[in-house]
Amino acid sequence: MWHITKRELYDNLNSLRFALATVLLLGLMLTNAIVHLREHPKRVQNYHNADARHQNRLANHAEDSLYKLAEKGPGYLDKKPSDLRFCAEGGETFLPSNVEGGFGRWGKGGEPRLESFWILAYHSATPDLHNVRPNVTKVDWGFIIGYVLSLIALLFTFDSISHEREQGTLRLMFANSIPRHTVLIGKFLGALITINIPFTLAVLVNLLVISTSSDVHLGAEAWGRLGFIFFITLLYTSLFLALGLLVSARVQRSAVSLVILLLVWVTFVVFMPSTLVSIAGRSTPPKSALGFSERSAQLEEELGNEYYALRYDPDKSLTRIQILQVAGEYVIKDAAQQERLHEERLKQRISQVRRARTITQISPVTIFQHLLEAFAGTGFERHLQFLENVKSYAQQYREFIADTDQADPESLHISGVREGMSQKPVPPEAIPKFEDKLSLSKDFNTAAMELLLLTLFVVVLLSGAYLAFVRVEI
Amino acid sequence: MLTTLIRRELLDNLMTFRFAAAVFIILLLVVANTVVLIKDYEQRLASHHAAVKMHQRQLQEKKTYSAGTEKLVVDRTPNPLSIFNVGFDKQLGNEVGISHTFVPSLWDAGMHGSDNPFMDMFASIDIVFIFKVILSLLALIFAYDTLAGEYERGTLRLVLTSHVRRGHILLAKYISAMLCLLVPLLMSLLLSVILLTTTTFISLNTDDFLRIGGIIFTTVVYLSVFYLIGMLISVVTRRTSTALMLSMFVWGFLVLVYPNMILAVVSRPEAPQERSASAFNQIEQMWEEFDRDRKHFLATDALPGEDWHFKIMGSGWYGAYLWGNPGRLSYTYKSKMEVDTLSEKAEPRIPHAQNYFDFLGTEVVGTADRTWFIRKSALEDIFIQPANVERLYLKLSPVGLYDAATQAWAGTDLLGVRDFFDAARRHRQRVIDYFYDEEIFRSRQWFSSDKGAADWSNLPQFSFQRVDVNTNAKRALPDVCLLFMINVALFIVIFLIFIKSEV
Repeated sequence: MWHITKRELYDNLNSLRFALATVLLLGLMLTNAIVHLREHPKRVQNYHNADARHQNRLANHAEDSLYKLAEKGPGYLDKKPSDLRFCAEGGETFLPSNVEGGFGRWGKGGEPRLESFWILAYHSATPDLHNVRPNVTKVDWGFIIGYVLSLIALLFTFDSISHEREQGTLRLMFANSIPRHTVLIGKFLGALITINIPFTLAVLVNLLVISTSSDVHLGAEAWGRLGFIFFITLLYTSLFLALGLLVSARVQRSAVSLVILLLVWVTFVVFMPSTLVSIAGRSTPPKSALGFSERSAQLEEELGNEYYALRYDPDKSLTRIQILQVAGEYVIKDAAQQERLHEERLKQRISQVRRARTITQISPVTIFQHLLEAFAGTGFERHLQFLENVKSYAQQYREFIADTDQADPESLHISGVREGMSQKPVPPEAIPKFEDKLSLSKDFNTAAMELLLLTLFVVVLLSGAYLAFVRVEI
Repeated sequence: MLTTLIRRELLDNLMTFRFAAAVFIILLLVVANTVVLIKDYEQRLASHHAAVKMHQRQLQEKKTYSAGTEKLVVDRTPNPLSIFNVGFDKQLGNEVGISHTFVPSLWDAGMHGSDNPFMDMFASIDIVFIFKVILSLLALIFAYDTLAGEYERGTLRLVLTSHVRRGHILLAKYISAMLCLLVPLLMSLLLSVILLTTTTFISLNTDDFLRIGGIIFTTVVYLSVFYLIGMLISVVTRRTSTALMLSMFVWGFLVLVYPNMILAVVSRPEAPQERSASAFNQIEQMWEEFDRDRKHFLATDALPGEDWHFKIMGSGWYGAYLWGNPGRLSYTYKSKMEVDTLSEKAEPRIPHAQNYFDFLGTEVVGTADRTWFIRKSALEDIFIQPANVERLYLKLSPVGLYDAATQAWAGTDLLGVRDFFDAARRHRQRVIDYFYDEEIFRSRQWFSSDKGAADWSNLPQFSFQRVDVNTNAKRALPDVCLLFMINVALFIVIFLIFIKSEV
């Protein structure tokens, strides 16, 4: 078997396709590295600036009073940019990079003066409506490997068996009583190694350029993730090699096998993802944006009227404490209601996107891209993790406010109104900080399903190739 | 002789597997995607109608003219030909305000919210994308072995022994292959046009059909370019396997790699910062001069005091501000008043207020128009020029030329979208003229609705007509001509090489 592998290797190394593949992959990976070095430092800088701004804001509020902290909330909570974004863009431009945790919705004069409390408002990423530049796809590893490398893999194996059959050398090989599975595995391994030579070279050049730059830093965890990504790439390449072998074994002429493979490639890799999404997107559109703001305003108004009815009830005269309690309850209830509305809308949107993403997993390219996103720490699933972090932090923040208030013996313990809460200034260091953490194990769990799916694809195609080859007439 | 050759080539090509595969795949992809794209268009149209209704309603709710001018919004209808090439149709803003206080442009546009902004993550494809990718691939698959295959099989030698001119051989191969490729192309386009015309909410007029014809013509020229590239590779390398490999890599490079890589490699041409800063300063100065004039008017009018609202407050509200956004070079002065009941004490001040608002209206319109000249050329230099340079880089590949030409035909290119903003500006002028004619600036309803609310029913209506097909053709012409010339150049090169080659 190793003999066959070596022979395949030498055959391929001397061919035109090997040279062209090397040139193409090197060029693409180099571009990827250069672009990343150009853009990433700016992103990280923006993130740090935004973070510093928000810390300042919190400190200012803390100096004022606990009520200010409770009213204005933690401000914008930023998503940490991923160091491995050059591996998978993940549609980051369409995902918001922060969540607003502070929202001045209304203020009411009167006694007591009321301000609306903060809620977690999930704004969508503002599309750049004034971008008149032409549209291009980002050249990330997902593009290079998902599209270009898969095409190259097909070009290496489309004629591996049919060409030999045409030339007559297949007959000679079988005359030597070599078992068929040995031939197949030998060819497969030969092609795998041949493709991985230029690919590994290109990847090494890319990583060299990126890691030796002073602006960008790749930590130990990043290297671990890159190892996983490399393994996934091997799996993905094997899929296409197996497909090439399968078609090559079944079909008599190389030209026909190429046409079939190219058309299959084009359908599954280029067209299926988008077409399936469009079909999936039509299933249940969530409530339109126009309805949402109107519903939100309606709820706000209803609750406000309720409050006014209670507060200025002509039949009862309320004590000061009761007034504060009614006011405080109103503010808290209003915030909770609006936050629930935002959550519902977010849940609907997320479920629609999840459905679309699941449907598109028929195409191996999407499976591969989702896996890359999971390990590179970008994309939709990462965004969902960020949202989870934000939610747990919001709870932490609220608990901190409640605890600090309880700790103050002078406070009336009525949250929602300035007079009812602790009047002492809060040391800024005591406020819990938002940390947007990712864990490799969590990413692995989300990716496990898709990894299994990809492996299943590879196994099916390899067995198909074996079955096809075993029954071939020479 | 030529017809015999063509017949031979045709029969050769029609009986192959690749022809059947080509027909099948093109039909499947085009028809499936047309259905999906039509549904998507339906949703966009529904969203557009809902937005128009909402804007109407919001306008009617305003009782005074000064509050209402903020709610004067025009919406851009989605372009039905965006099914062919979506271009900028979905990307740029589709609603813009036409208040008299500023001249609207692309950079002031908004977008009525989409249902789920997360769905923008998924790339969408249009019919031209299918052609870009598949037709070029199929053309190369048909072309790679035209001459190399005949070299290898030895049949070329046999053909040349009879009195056949080499040019005729090339021409015959070209014509027959183009006919074979045109069959699936035209069939699929016919089916999608039928689907388009049978949907109830899309109405296409003759101009639209002419545009679709332009797109079809451009597609044929694009197809021909790739076929000739394949033929060139075939004539240069004499073995089919080398020709095939080379063709595939050329396809991968031209279609996949070049469009996406070139803009990343070439650094973005930026207009210098000073241009933006100096333009904004000029605009700011003009508005501040206006503000001085305004305050001067208030100081020198018959009433003492300089309150722009003349203390005409009953129950209602008012606000005014001078505001600019340096990033988009926009600057404006807005003031509005919405009073529903007045006290009698305010009555003697009313005529002075009316004078002021008349003066204000004229001055604001004048300043807005003057600053527009500065803003327009600055926006061109800062935003449009770099984008055009980038587009030029893309056009170095036939794929970029094809994309640009079809966008121009469909009307979804940048110029096509800017036509909407030209129309919005013209409509604003009509509304301002209406205001002048009806003396609305100096009317009582400008700021108060106590003696009757503002009447919006006689306002000129906005209707956007896309430019006529001649303009589309003119915009597409340079790119189509370039594609055509590439065709001619390639054919000449192939001819020269083939003439000199040893068989």
